[in-house]
Amino acid sequence: MPKITRREFVKTTTVAAAGVAVASALPRRADAADLSYKPEKGAKLRLLRWKRFVAGDEEQWMANTKKFTEKTGVEVRVDNEGWEDVRPKAAVAANVGSGPDIILGWFDDPHQYPDKLVDVSELAGYIGKKYGGWYDVCQRYGTRDGKWIALPLGVIGNLMVHRISHVKAAGFDGIPKDLPGFLKLCQALKAKGTPAGLALGHAVGDGNDWVHWLVWSHGAKLVDEKGNVAINSPETVAALEYAQQLYQTFIPGTLSWLDPHNNKAFLDGQCSLTNNGISIYYAAKTSPEPKLKEMADDIGHGNWPIGVSGKPTNFMQVTQAMVFKYSKFPNAAKEYLRFMWEWDQMDSWMQKSIGYVTGPYKAQEKSAVWTVDPKHTPFRDVTGTLLDNGYAYKLGAASAAAMADAILIDMVAEAASGQQTPKAAAERAEKRAQRYYKI
Amino acid sequence: MRERAQDGPGLEHWESLPRRVVTVYLPLAVFLFVLLFPFYWMAITTFKPNAELYDYRTYSPFWVVHPTLAHIKKLLFDTSYPSWLWNTVLVSVSSTFMSLAASVLAAYAIERLRFRGSRYVGMGIFLAYLVPPSILFIPLAAMVFNLGLFDTRLALILTYPTFLVPFCTWLLMGYFRTIPYELEECALIDGATRFQVLWKIVLPLAVPGLISAGIFAFTLSWNEFIYALTFVSSSEVKTVPVGVITELVEGDVYHWGSLMAGALLGSLPVAILYSFFVEHYVSGLTGAVKE
Amino acid sequence: MPSGLALLSRLQNSRNALGALFMLPAAALLLVFLTYPLGLGAWLGFTDTTIGRPGRFVGTENFRSLFQDSVFWLSVFNTFVYTAAASVLKFGLGLWLALILNRNLPFKSLLRAIILLPFIVPTVLSAIAFWWIFDSQFSVISWTLQRLGLIHHYIDFLGDPVNARLSLIAANVWRGIPFVAISLLAGLQTISPSLYEAATLDGATPWQRFRHVTFPLLTPIIAVVMTFSVLLTFTDFQLVYVITRGGPMNATHLMATLAFQRAIPGGQLAEGAAIAGAMVPFLIGAILFSYFGLQRRRWQQGATDA
Repeated sequence: MPKITRREFVKTTTVAAAGVAVASALPRRADAADLSYKPEKGAKLRLLRWKRFVAGDEEQWMANTKKFTEKTGVEVRVDNEGWEDVRPKAAVAANVGSGPDIILGWFDDPHQYPDKLVDVSELAGYIGKKYGGWYDVCQRYGTRDGKWIALPLGVIGNLMVHRISHVKAAGFDGIPKDLPGFLKLCQALKAKGTPAGLALGHAVGDGNDWVHWLVWSHGAKLVDEKGNVAINSPETVAALEYAQQLYQTFIPGTLSWLDPHNNKAFLDGQCSLTNNGISIYYAAKTSPEPKLKEMADDIGHGNWPIGVSGKPTNFMQVTQAMVFKYSKFPNAAKEYLRFMWEWDQMDSWMQKSIGYVTGPYKAQEKSAVWTVDPKHTPFRDVTGTLLDNGYAYKLGAASAAAMADAILIDMVAEAASGQQTPKAAAERAEKRAQRYYKI
Repeated sequence: MRERAQDGPGLEHWESLPRRVVTVYLPLAVFLFVLLFPFYWMAITTFKPNAELYDYRTYSPFWVVHPTLAHIKKLLFDTSYPSWLWNTVLVSVSSTFMSLAASVLAAYAIERLRFRGSRYVGMGIFLAYLVPPSILFIPLAAMVFNLGLFDTRLALILTYPTFLVPFCTWLLMGYFRTIPYELEECALIDGATRFQVLWKIVLPLAVPGLISAGIFAFTLSWNEFIYALTFVSSSEVKTVPVGVITELVEGDVYHWGSLMAGALLGSLPVAILYSFFVEHYVSGLTGAVKE
Repeated sequence: MPSGLALLSRLQNSRNALGALFMLPAAALLLVFLTYPLGLGAWLGFTDTTIGRPGRFVGTENFRSLFQDSVFWLSVFNTFVYTAAASVLKFGLGLWLALILNRNLPFKSLLRAIILLPFIVPTVLSAIAFWWIFDSQFSVISWTLQRLGLIHHYIDFLGDPVNARLSLIAANVWRGIPFVAISLLAGLQTISPSLYEAATLDGATPWQRFRHVTFPLLTPIIAVVMTFSVLLTFTDFQLVYVITRGGPMNATHLMATLAFQRAIPGGQLAEGAAIAGAMVPFLIGAILFSYFGLQRRRWQQGATDA
């Protein structure tokens, strides 16, 4: 049914892939001409992307890619690697000067080798204009010195996954919005025998997500605006003392937790609160066992508490597409990206990814994936709450090195477990970070 | 405990049965248990449905109550597992063969021919191990690209000898050394060429060494991960370790049952193959030639 | 005899040429595929190369920077402890197992094949199995011990630094015993039984037989096998990477895993290469030690030593 909006144009979009039909009204500026790149003659593309988190993701991505091939005649070969293994491959490609034309990387990967990447400012400008603008954090990750060096694809949302009934039994009505409340919740959960657990091993996803939030929400940061290491501060010590108290309420063993551990523990009912993407809910919902299906109804996704600044300071994994300069078919690559980022493809892909990925531009909030299941909705708004891992300075080789070296995770783990005092842990982190941020 | 040294064949009837139980059978049983338990674990996990996998309160971790073939099915039919298996076999056999051939010649040259500088060459071969693969793979990747070998099995077949040849050479040097020189001297004086000496006299005597070297070269190739991860992209060309990890780990969800199925199915055929070779070198040694 | 002399002198002359010829395949493989990467790997440590841009020569700056890095020294410590403990255990247990397997046992060849299983399984996958076995919530070892009433809480195998190291050493030993055992077994098989008979007839006890017959004859094989084992253990990567990623709090980071972490996700290629370079002196030491161990040739009859 056509809906009349305030704008002149009304558009009804039908998603053709896999029998999912959706009608949505997408406001559109009448004068935005469709940008289009002409692929080179005989172009063939190689795309390296991270392995899907859900089957639907890959199916829809490949279906969309097929549409592209049918439309332009450009064949696209898609290779998958585990999400963490894409980085060594991208590193090799950047170094060697040969490899896939497009790689879907993570975080500040593009900032480590910006001169090896094709400038995609024009494409990014077009997409941003057409779809309500990019989220700030996506812009920060995708641009360097005013130029776009990568096209952000989305954010893997990471929220406080909890058992609604256990939280209620502990006397709370959901995840508290402030830090003291959150601590009280965890203490109550432990008292009731339904403890929380957050990863303190070298968990590149979940571990980084929560320790960055911890540090930032207390007003601390790794580097200041001038690029000086600023981690050794009273705010950090406060954050670490908070972490110590939190750790007392955790299920044992979190110091060894990598990314999959919290999924296992939660699904087994041993852990009632953890930070994770939508994978736990999805595993429970689609499981053939009645026990897990029941648990799915009891799973809630809560927002991260807000810290001393009054504004959210979260951290989640951002993925983006990079086109390499060594590619023989840069126009074909850009056209492929343009096609895949257009609403038909992006929306259908987000829907089939059942909420794993939150889109990079503001129009994504209209996607049906956020309303088809109320438990998805909290993931819709995550991107606006994010800071990037270069905060408060720029992204670059130093920020990448600091995060890869797990400086923040180790600092929090050392303080929480009592291996170091908070002050000592902060000092050690400072020394380690100074090796990378030498100005 | 090593003071209970082994008796050679022929002396064992002098030992009493209780002694044998304590010094031989009991430790053997413990060894077997420890070495095999993880396999038992892998087997159990392969056949356990997910419901039983996490729930220790209801189901004992040692048994499977409702065995399922679903994980194996997923491995064999939903992934390219058969092609990975074939790739791994092809790569391992080829690189082992090449490495053994090169190593036999090199070991003989260093150990027996004693050409000028052989001692330094002998030591120089070990430079190959000084930089670990976790760093070496980047410049090696550059070479693979430049030679146009990226994403081929040939890339692996040609790069694996870099860590296989030195070890095989050294092992064979050790074995050649235990072969009395008089045998070769006699043959040489009788007019044999060096190559004939190598082929007809030294090699047959060094068979246990060859088999050991072959077994380990094969296994190291089979297990190799980081080069296979870096040099190969397409799913059909991947080897078992890389393919299994890539396909059966989806973000933070590990498909444990199928992963363990991959581990089992990836090892048992090789183990069965090995049992034939082990047979061979055992039978080749009774009645040692070197009397 | 003149013809004999002429023949020998002819052989003498062709030794060098023949030697070069025999070395050709091995040399070709290694020189082509290894000189450039090794050279680059060594060179990188003296530059400031990152993933994104080529570097300039900076002398020993990387090494000086590492010198002050506590995590680096922790990885050095870990590597030594890991290698020493695992190697000693592998040698002892491997030798013992080889001695046992050398006996006349029923199902000999089946046993010998089974023993190889830990070595055959792709390391990545057996590492994942161990990950589960050592899991802080789902460990079957903890479950059993708890059922037997020996412990009350699950053991934190991988979360406590000391436990994590011990667990990894155990996993490494498990994987390495077959290698040592089978190699030493092959060596044991080449020792002539007549030597034992002679010794026994002279009244030697089993321990004396071992010390004076078995062990000396095994020495060259032991030297080779243990050197290789030490080299592999020192540069071990997969096991640690899969199970702990170097955690908790870097307690299990080996130099090889730290080098990788700094170089690839961290993008600091030069620093990673420098860490790898720092391993070289120790590796050379290990190689020299056993190479000279190989030189002892008391058992050789009539060999001409160069």
